[in-house]
Amino acid sequence: MSVIDILTRVDAICNKYDKYDVEKQKDLNVSGDDAFARLYASVDSDIEASLQKAELASKEKSKASAVAINAELRRTKARLLEEVPKLQRLAIKKVKGLSTEELAARNDLVLALPDRIQAIPDGTAAAPKQTGGWGASAPRAEIKFDSDGQFDNEYFQETETSSQFRQEYEMRKMKQEAVGCIVSRAINFDIPQDQGLDMISDGLDTLKNMAHDMNEEMDRQVPLMDEIDTKVRTLLYPSKFSVPLMKLEFTRRVLCASLQVDKATADLKNTNVRLKDTVNQLRSSRNFCIDIILLIIILGIAAYLYNVLK
Amino acid sequence: MPVSDPEKLVAKADKLTKLSLTRWSADWRNATLLYEEAANLFRVAKKNEKAKEAFEKASKGQEMLSSYILNKKIRPWDAAKDMESAAALAKELGNWNEVSDFHRRASELYMECGRPQLASDALAKAARALEDTIPDAAVQLYNDASAILEEDGKEQMTFDLYCAASGVYVKLEKYSAAATSLLQLGLAADKCNATNSQCKAYLGAIIVYLYAHDFKQAEKCYNDCSQVDAFLRSDQNHCASKLLSAYTEGDIEEIKRLAQSSTVSNLDHVVIKLARKLPTGDVSALKTDAAKEEEEPLDEDDLT
Repeated sequence: MSVIDILTRVDAICNKYDKYDVEKQKDLNVSGDDAFARLYASVDSDIEASLQKAELASKEKSKASAVAINAELRRTKARLLEEVPKLQRLAIKKVKGLSTEELAARNDLVLALPDRIQAIPDGTAAAPKQTGGWGASAPRAEIKFDSDGQFDNEYFQETETSSQFRQEYEMRKMKQEAVGCIVSRAINFDIPQDQGLDMISDGLDTLKNMAHDMNEEMDRQVPLMDEIDTKVRTLLYPSKFSVPLMKLEFTRRVLCASLQVDKATADLKNTNVRLKDTVNQLRSSRNFCIDIILLIIILGIAAYLYNVLK
Repeated sequence: MPVSDPEKLVAKADKLTKLSLTRWSADWRNATLLYEEAANLFRVAKKNEKAKEAFEKASKGQEMLSSYILNKKIRPWDAAKDMESAAALAKELGNWNEVSDFHRRASELYMECGRPQLASDALAKAARALEDTIPDAAVQLYNDASAILEEDGKEQMTFDLYCAASGVYVKLEKYSAAATSLLQLGLAADKCNATNSQCKAYLGAIIVYLYAHDFKQAEKCYNDCSQVDAFLRSDQNHCASKLLSAYTEGDIEEIKRLAQSSTVSNLDHVVIKLARKLPTGDVSALKTDAAKEEEEPLDEDDLT
């Protein structure tokens, strides 16, 4: 192990255990009036904590817990990124007892922060594109945080006895970087299209759901309509077997009528016969004619005799 | 309308119902009509006490009427109708026991008429009236109504009833019962080939189990439902699998995102409310359980 390695390792350990260093805390507290310094200190400590968590995550064997830690990291990153604008505003403010150089330094520190925050590996690794944008003022002699942070990750990897972990970590990081690259490109270039497409897809989902519901409602209405149909039919035609019954009724009535007619004609015939018999009983028709002719002759003779005698 | 008129009506109706030497049987029909008229007039005049009395007498009249008619074995249809109006009056009065009793009687009468749909409607009306006051009875009524419809073979009408029943169960915080009634909905939908409703019901059941923080049940439910072809091919299946995997990973953002998705937003609004409140409890606890289960086989591998 070289001297430089030892030095950097010692630095890292010091950073880690700074919170237990009472004297240093007192120094920090001196700048209690300075809001910027306070906020910056808190953001800094958060970043350190996240970095440690990140390396924990990369060592995790089980994917589930790694994903959980990554999620936690993502959330912390988002929160820290929100703090950055506040810091920027505070950095610009002039504080008494502060040289212009230090003011400029503060500005640069703040500008470097997003870069550091994004550099925290959280499963969807920071896209190099984004760091490129922010990295304009990052390399500066006074600022040492970046290199220290990155050193921590790799350094602790090297102290592991098995180098397998390191290989796995790097493989995963590469894969995730590639994915992150694509995703960030998509996000940066295609935001308007994506939003429009999202809206369209939401609208289509709603339409699909409505169409399905309408379909089912129609299926539900069909038997009801059938019932209504039968009910209306029974109202219009009182009996279910109405038509054949009507026919039956009609034939029955016709039969009855015809029976009656037959009966009447039979009666008439009977009466006629009886009348004839009665008449014949009184006097047969032939004799009746002869009687009438003879009567007329007698009347003629009587009339002639009367005329002669007069 | 002068106030004396309803009083006169009530007096007249009382005379009609009192048996005496000249009157051998009570004329309940006219009496009930008069009571109802009087009750309405009282209500308009805002004399609530008197209105309540008149309504009570009217509902008693309805009851007598329906039993009278039944004794005569004239059509049970009129009896059922009168029972329903009596139940409506009881609802206005707030006599919840009477409401459920009257509606049940009305539904029995409708069944005698051979109109099961009206019978289940009567029970459903009762359940709706009692949802806020006596939810247990309401749920019982909903189940009875669904049973009647299923016997009749009209499962399509049962969807709304099962949805409402599960809503009441959720209010009562009986989540397993709510999920069960949603699964029954799914079964009914299956019989009618209403695949959309079926899939929505299954997804709803899974969400209810997750809300009750019963992850094992939710997984079992999901496995059971995946046996159904219609569900397997649907959007709701995707959503459910994503939800369960988000739960196993303890990814709270993913769960929240899925709860906002359009698939969940098309479900019944009771279920949507539950989904928006997901995840309940400690998702990481679920996650560590799942992780432990995963780790054990790994350890065995390491030892060998």
